[in-house]
Amino acid sequence: MSSTFSGLEVAKRALFTQQSALSTTGHNISNANTPGYSRQRVNFEQTSPYPAMGRNRPEIEGQIGQGVEAGSVQRVRDQFIDLQYRAENNKTGYWESRADALSQMEQIMNEPSETGLSDTMDQFWQSLNDLAGNPEDSGARSVVQQRGIAVADTFNYISDSLTAVQKDLENEINVTTKDINSVVSQIKDLNDQIKAVEPHGYLPNDLYDERDRLIDELSNMVNIDVEYNSSSDSAKDIAQGIASITLQNSEVKAIEGGALLTKDNVANQLDVAVKNNDSGQRLVTNIQINQMDKDGNKIGQEDFTPSDFSSNGKLKGLIESHGYQIETDSGQKEAEGIYVSMLEDIDKIAYAFADSFNIQHQKGYTLTENTDGLPKQGGAFFDTGSYSTDDYIGYASEMDLTSDVKSSEDNIAAALLVDESGNPLAPDQVEAGSYFGNGENAQALADVKGKVNAFLGENTSVQSYYEGMIGDLGVQAQEANRMADNASTLQQAVETRRQSVSGVSLDEEMSNMIKFQHAYNAAARNMTAVDEMLDRIINQMGLVGR
Amino acid sequence: MRVTQSMLSSNFLRNVSNSYERMGKYQEQLSTGKKVTKPSDDPVVAMKGMNYRTELTEVQQYQRNLGEVHTWMDNSDAAMDKMTKALQRTRELAVQASNDSYEEGQRANIAKEVRQLKEHLIDLGNTKVNDKHIFNGTSTTNPRFDKDGNLDTANANSAAVNIEVSDGVKIRVNTNPSNIFVDSESGQSMMEALENFATDLESGETGETGDQLDDHIENIDGFINQVVNERASLGARMNRVDMIENRLNSQEITTTQVLSDNEDVDVEKVIMNLKSQESVHRAALSTGARIIQPTLMDFLR
Repeated sequence: MSSTFSGLEVAKRALFTQQSALSTTGHNISNANTPGYSRQRVNFEQTSPYPAMGRNRPEIEGQIGQGVEAGSVQRVRDQFIDLQYRAENNKTGYWESRADALSQMEQIMNEPSETGLSDTMDQFWQSLNDLAGNPEDSGARSVVQQRGIAVADTFNYISDSLTAVQKDLENEINVTTKDINSVVSQIKDLNDQIKAVEPHGYLPNDLYDERDRLIDELSNMVNIDVEYNSSSDSAKDIAQGIASITLQNSEVKAIEGGALLTKDNVANQLDVAVKNNDSGQRLVTNIQINQMDKDGNKIGQEDFTPSDFSSNGKLKGLIESHGYQIETDSGQKEAEGIYVSMLEDIDKIAYAFADSFNIQHQKGYTLTENTDGLPKQGGAFFDTGSYSTDDYIGYASEMDLTSDVKSSEDNIAAALLVDESGNPLAPDQVEAGSYFGNGENAQALADVKGKVNAFLGENTSVQSYYEGMIGDLGVQAQEANRMADNASTLQQAVETRRQSVSGVSLDEEMSNMIKFQHAYNAAARNMTAVDEMLDRIINQMGLVGR
Repeated sequence: MRVTQSMLSSNFLRNVSNSYERMGKYQEQLSTGKKVTKPSDDPVVAMKGMNYRTELTEVQQYQRNLGEVHTWMDNSDAAMDKMTKALQRTRELAVQASNDSYEEGQRANIAKEVRQLKEHLIDLGNTKVNDKHIFNGTSTTNPRFDKDGNLDTANANSAAVNIEVSDGVKIRVNTNPSNIFVDSESGQSMMEALENFATDLESGETGETGDQLDDHIENIDGFINQVVNERASLGARMNRVDMIENRLNSQEITTTQVLSDNEDVDVEKVIMNLKSQESVHRAALSTGARIIQPTLMDFLR
């Protein structure tokens, strides 16, 4: 026979278990809007029935159930969806940072518009045409001078603005690197806490949630591979254990030496080096992981060149936008990346234009005379300083008119003087003052913009090269926008599925609440019934004949 | 699939935000009138747009250059018309004077008029338009003749002034003054010839006869022919300029049209799009409002 009081124990267990389920429901409702929270449930288990098998078991007709207990409190989560989410998240990070950088560039270039470089060049061309029609007019000359200054200013402005954004990108690289290190060290701390809880047979669900949230955050910045190792033999089977994190390439393979958080739960430090190269371009030269020991001392390092750094994500997007150094097969060091290439192109086109413009300008005659009384030929129009076709990096930011042309508009060489067979005339063959109505060189100068410029390429003029640059920018930006859009759509789809599994449904919690409440009430009624039975036995039995 | 309230509300928010984005795009298209505002909207359209803009600027500049061309040509033409008239008057006078019935005093009077006509021709030769001497080649800042009609040999030239009127096409806008003012056979200048004629008229005492004056008539005829020839060649160029102008005008229209087709929005289409997007937006808002409101709580007591 079972104990007289066993009914009380069964009801008590039910009360406790339903109460814990109700508390968990309350916890779910409270955290319905907490980011990263996964709903929890109490796993109900039947307790072992009475009697247990054995030689001295009481002879009763069958095993009587002994009620319920809360086996464990578990969060409802699908790890496979987490993997998918993180795979999409690093793509979103990568493409969004690229799209951002490119959209800023589009704003700086400001094409097509009535105010971009293309229009400034057109206006310069117009002023030269007007000069060709009125070469003796100092008004027309001033306009050429001023529009020339405007062209140089526009190149300066574009170059400076691009450099400023590049500088911002460098800051963002540093901030992102710090973020990565900080997130990794937070994950390390959580690992430590989890390690302290799991051996006791508990599931630290809220710590798991927090850790997953941080890993999600990290996966936006770099592509990572997460591995879990059991924290202790006494931990539950469904316990997740300690997370270790390694950088991962696009083939979903862990990168050798790319451990950010080791199996021993030691956080390594990521570092990105940005340096100036010989031509003054600012480039990412090296990405380095400093390996640490438990006490935070550096014990080794792993270096990656920017082109070898294959972990996709915001950091890589930023590095590629900013510009980085690559080594060609022949061992030459070259610059690559969105901003650095655009800056280089702007420098190139500015130099190509200035140089060929100067060459044409030097063929012409000015309105002034040399000290020997002979007509003065044109000098350089744009000041090209010490720049050359081999070394034009940085020219756009320093482009200016020569002080000669700036000081007097008469020094613009608008006249082109040739003899009958088309050969240019030397100053001593020219009658001073007799050619002021000749505007042929102004026309030739106007044509420089649309003429094939060998320095820029075969069949390429300044005009078409610039159009190509803008077209290229447009295609790149369009691709980045589209990819960022795609990645974020996919990410949202995964997020929806994740919510579908782990999200808190208030209606569900509400009906659970009522379910558990009813069960609690019924268990209480059950206890009252047992209580009344006991009352019957103790107080009202054995009174016969009193 | 298990669907929760937070999924519904985040879905709803995302859709509404997408809807706003699309409406924003239409708003931008309508308020700028352009299909693209940055290269990434459509790289091809943006690139073509830059090219067409440059082309249009060029056409407009060439039209402006044509204005310059007209100033040159019309003024040269008018001046040469007056030169012809002056030379014809001189010829009339020469024919008149060659009449042997004219006395010396009368011939001297004619000589006075011839001198005045010479002055007039000097003025015409030094015609200044828009601050430029148009009958002095590229030496536009200097007058061709001094007040006595002598050539300013240091500065005068007969070089061509060319102006570009369309891509690579340059046209000569001035006349060749040596073709006008210098006798192509004898190399004598017009002013010199007129001066000699006047002198000969005055020196009638020495037995100048009408026959002798015939040489001058021939000379003057020669000059008249030269001016007319130069004017004819200018006229031919003016015709060409007119044709170029017509072409440029139609080119401007075409280029503007192409530019507009390339990047301007079709307003009706965008308004229709905007309207249908607005309906979608309203629908999204009203469904959202219906769905996110009720909970089980409304029905539990």
